[in-house]
Amino acid sequence: MKIIYALFAAAFAALAIVPFAAPWLQFVLTIAIAKGFAAVGVALLLRAGLISIGHAMFYAAGAYTAAFIVLWSGISDLFVLLIASTLVTAAIGALVGAYLVRYRAIFFAMLNLAVSMVFFALLSKLYGITGGTDGLRVPVPTVLGTTLTKAGFDIVLFYVALALMAIIAGLGVQFLKSPLGHAVGAIHTNEVRLEYLGVSAWSVLLIAYTISAALAGLGGAIAAVSIGHVLPEYAYWTESGHLVLTAVLGGIGGVAGPFIGSIFLEIVHTVAVGVAHNAWNLIMGATLLLVIFFLPQGLYGLVTKSADKTSSAKLGENKS
Amino acid sequence: MLDMALPLIMDALANAALIFFVAVGLTLVFSVQRILNVAHGSFYSIGAYIAASMGLWLISAGLNPWLSFPALLLSAALVAMVLGPLVERTLIRWTYGRHEAIQILVTFGLFLILEDLQRLVFGVRSIYQDTPMALLGVTEIGGIFYLNYQLLLIVLALAVLFGMRFLIKHTRLGRLLVAVVADREVSLAMGINTDRAFVLAFTLGVFLAALGGALATPTTGVAPGLGAETMVLAFAVAAIGGLGQIEGAAVASIIVAGAKVLAVYYAPAFDTVAPFLVMLAVLLVRPNGLFGTATTRKI
Amino acid sequence: MKHIVRTAGTLMASLVLATQAMAQDKPEQIDVGVFTFTSGAPAAYGQPGAQGAELMVDLINAAGGIDGVPLRATIVDEAQGAEGVIAEYRRLAGETSYQVMIAALSSSNCLALAPVAEQMQMPTIGWNCDTHQLFLDQQLDYTFRPNGNTIPEFVAYVAYLLQVNPDIERVAIINPDYAFGHDAAEIVKAAFRAFKPDVEIVAELFPSLGASSYQTEVSRLSAARPDAIFSNLWGADLENFVRQAQPRGLLTQSQTVLALGETILQRIDLPDGVIVGMLGDGYWLTPHAQANEDTVAFAEEYSNRFGEYPVFPTMKMANSFMVMKAAYEAAIEANDGEWPSRDEIAAALEGLETATFTGTARLREDNDGYVDQVIGVTGPSETYDFSVITNMVRYDGEALMAPLGEDPIAWIETLTPEFLETLPEPGSYN
Repeated sequence: MKIIYALFAAAFAALAIVPFAAPWLQFVLTIAIAKGFAAVGVALLLRAGLISIGHAMFYAAGAYTAAFIVLWSGISDLFVLLIASTLVTAAIGALVGAYLVRYRAIFFAMLNLAVSMVFFALLSKLYGITGGTDGLRVPVPTVLGTTLTKAGFDIVLFYVALALMAIIAGLGVQFLKSPLGHAVGAIHTNEVRLEYLGVSAWSVLLIAYTISAALAGLGGAIAAVSIGHVLPEYAYWTESGHLVLTAVLGGIGGVAGPFIGSIFLEIVHTVAVGVAHNAWNLIMGATLLLVIFFLPQGLYGLVTKSADKTSSAKLGENKS
Repeated sequence: MLDMALPLIMDALANAALIFFVAVGLTLVFSVQRILNVAHGSFYSIGAYIAASMGLWLISAGLNPWLSFPALLLSAALVAMVLGPLVERTLIRWTYGRHEAIQILVTFGLFLILEDLQRLVFGVRSIYQDTPMALLGVTEIGGIFYLNYQLLLIVLALAVLFGMRFLIKHTRLGRLLVAVVADREVSLAMGINTDRAFVLAFTLGVFLAALGGALATPTTGVAPGLGAETMVLAFAVAAIGGLGQIEGAAVASIIVAGAKVLAVYYAPAFDTVAPFLVMLAVLLVRPNGLFGTATTRKI
Repeated sequence: MKHIVRTAGTLMASLVLATQAMAQDKPEQIDVGVFTFTSGAPAAYGQPGAQGAELMVDLINAAGGIDGVPLRATIVDEAQGAEGVIAEYRRLAGETSYQVMIAALSSSNCLALAPVAEQMQMPTIGWNCDTHQLFLDQQLDYTFRPNGNTIPEFVAYVAYLLQVNPDIERVAIINPDYAFGHDAAEIVKAAFRAFKPDVEIVAELFPSLGASSYQTEVSRLSAARPDAIFSNLWGADLENFVRQAQPRGLLTQSQTVLALGETILQRIDLPDGVIVGMLGDGYWLTPHAQANEDTVAFAEEYSNRFGEYPVFPTMKMANSFMVMKAAYEAAIEANDGEWPSRDEIAAALEGLETATFTGTARLREDNDGYVDQVIGVTGPSETYDFSVITNMVRYDGEALMAPLGEDPIAWIETLTPEFLETLPEPGSYN
């Protein structure tokens, strides 16, 4: 166990010096962490045995909420934006989830896809409100009332994202240990037994769904202020697929997995884009298949293999 | 309003025909394999690329342009015969009986691979092959010129619909598929070669997708991204009709195409939203689709 | 607290900037980032631009580079989306050998890159994006657009249409569904209100960018029975639309205006009499271009290398390289022969005026450009086996541009039908 914490601390320290050691990586990592939040949300549902190929809509919802708040209300403080976007997305998630968590398996996947496609189509078609396929520009937010240059803001944002990642990871570990966290996993293992224990699967899943949406929304809001622009593509179904891919690649066993997956993918993408621009999806697809076939616990599984045998969860594992 | 009725119906049918081919393939594979094949749209675009390339080659080789019609069919068959068994035996078979999340992810991985393979093989620019359309000319209906090729598509879609019905109700393969869908283990015990049934059904699904793509080329350009776009539209149709329902897919094609055409005529801002709004509305009321039932699966 | 945040932010920003200190010595090589679409439906338009960049680099290097330093272009594909484009821009701008970016093709990428350019203090030349919103409510010090904007481009089309066909009453619009299409529709409608208020817009369609099938739209347009159809579809979309509309008689049923029609003349056999243009003066067969032996040589070399003649995105790209070269040379001269910094190049771009392959590029105070607008109709060619543009007119770019600081759409509304009489006649530029 201790080895893992040492590893995480080392990785965290390495990330923290990025703005000085490799400034070009700073933007890439901010985005990676942002997508990591969404991937953690997807992973939470995967633990319950539910696959959502529509979660990019919540990422987009967080991003557009941030943009709308700045454009409509003029409030542009980073922390207000992040908190408000997360809350709004959580509300949307609860609303959509209240209906969707009644379904399992293929129907859950399909309905998520259906809702996300409506969401995507509306974002790209309501030109007057959403800016259509051009999206909306997000001005540089202030930080606690202080106006910063874009460069200064980007550095602040990077450390905020890094800190949030640590906080979410900590909370996530506690959540998974809590009765509710166990109940989420139990839905996958044996939902009927869970109901016999007097736990409502519907409310457990609704809470999980809302949390997962809120995480995706937080990620979207970070991406929005980092990129400075929000686009409907954020909600496209292939993006949802990529989020699931990220979660599975990193491993859904622990909260760290999806972040590892996301950071790994973004860095490799940045390095490889010049060499393999037209083959990037091919590489991703092949990697995904290899991970599913040979590494069901994802990259995180590699880290924990020797150190910790308790927190391993495999994708689609039948524990019955 | 009334003078618009004829063009509206014509456009809806012409659009429906094109969506139907690919949606019926998706629904067939779901009903037999019980897999939502996310890579289904890629078979559509591969069919389109092969058909366009073959057509262009025919013309550049100076052969009779009427040969471009059988070439459409041939390219779809070619795609199905090569990719169908290959994909089913290597990837899809591995997922049988596994968790839905794994099944969807495996086909998503396949989708990513196929998308880039198309870029690498066919390039990234649009290609066009409109000889079959040009050969057939136009017909005036309600004061608007329609391509005779569009009318031919409607006829072909009907032929596929009745062909599928015939295949399932009156042929040995059809009965085998029905048996496998009904109960795989009993079928196996009865001596049915379920492996073979699965390969055949999957290959037929690939053929229908590729056929849809091939038949679309004379009226549209082929470019990267077509597969992803087609996938969600086919999915919308299959979901509205009820996954696994062939007649359902036919009715749903007309509903989706009708919604889109109505939007283009009267509310252009909603043309791409319309199919998905209809899908959501239907699924909210009937999650199994218009013709689907929760327990039984049929084809 | 505020103070701490600000100090920390400034401190870190300066630390980061210090790690990428600017080298002012004469470099071994000049790198330039060129942003265009090389994949997807827009590649049909973006690829000729990329090829233009490739040829320009070779031509400039063959003539000794810029002040003896050879040039190298890095092509970035805009099809990867704003996020990827920004990441790539940042990566390139982080290297000192890059002192100018030529970006971008799409208006949304120009809008997304403008704040990044300001932040990284990187001179950026907009080679093709033309949204009038770019300089509307912001002061940009590092973004320059010798390419001009949508206002003169689309006012010119309405003017030409009414000059050749004053009796137009019913107009239909089919534009791509993003800012470029919507802005153009607004401008066209405003121009009709100004020049001929009784014109009725009978259909307004915005198919998605990259749509492959236009059959329903063609039916809808046919059913509306318009006197004129206006479209600023482009790239593969335009090619798709025309290929599907032409057999169904749409292009001859109404007077069709294809704002970016010049790009498909060599690929599709358009009927005679379609109003086409090039959003500026970038046509290699105008009297200006043909009188310039460099332009003729460029077109011939382009055709030898790529198997077709240049289209206007090629010329826009080539002209942007000429603007960049002029800026470098002006900056070197202002610097007494020393190699200039990014800031000095940006200073040289301020108010720059330089000859291009097809006319003159002139930057005004807000860094937007004045570009003449050339429009004509398709007609047969005596020399080439494809249609060319005939009955041309060349409108003065400045006359059609909203004055500095004025709301452009409101400015169009102030125009009157008499304004048309001040413009040169179609056919006056052949």
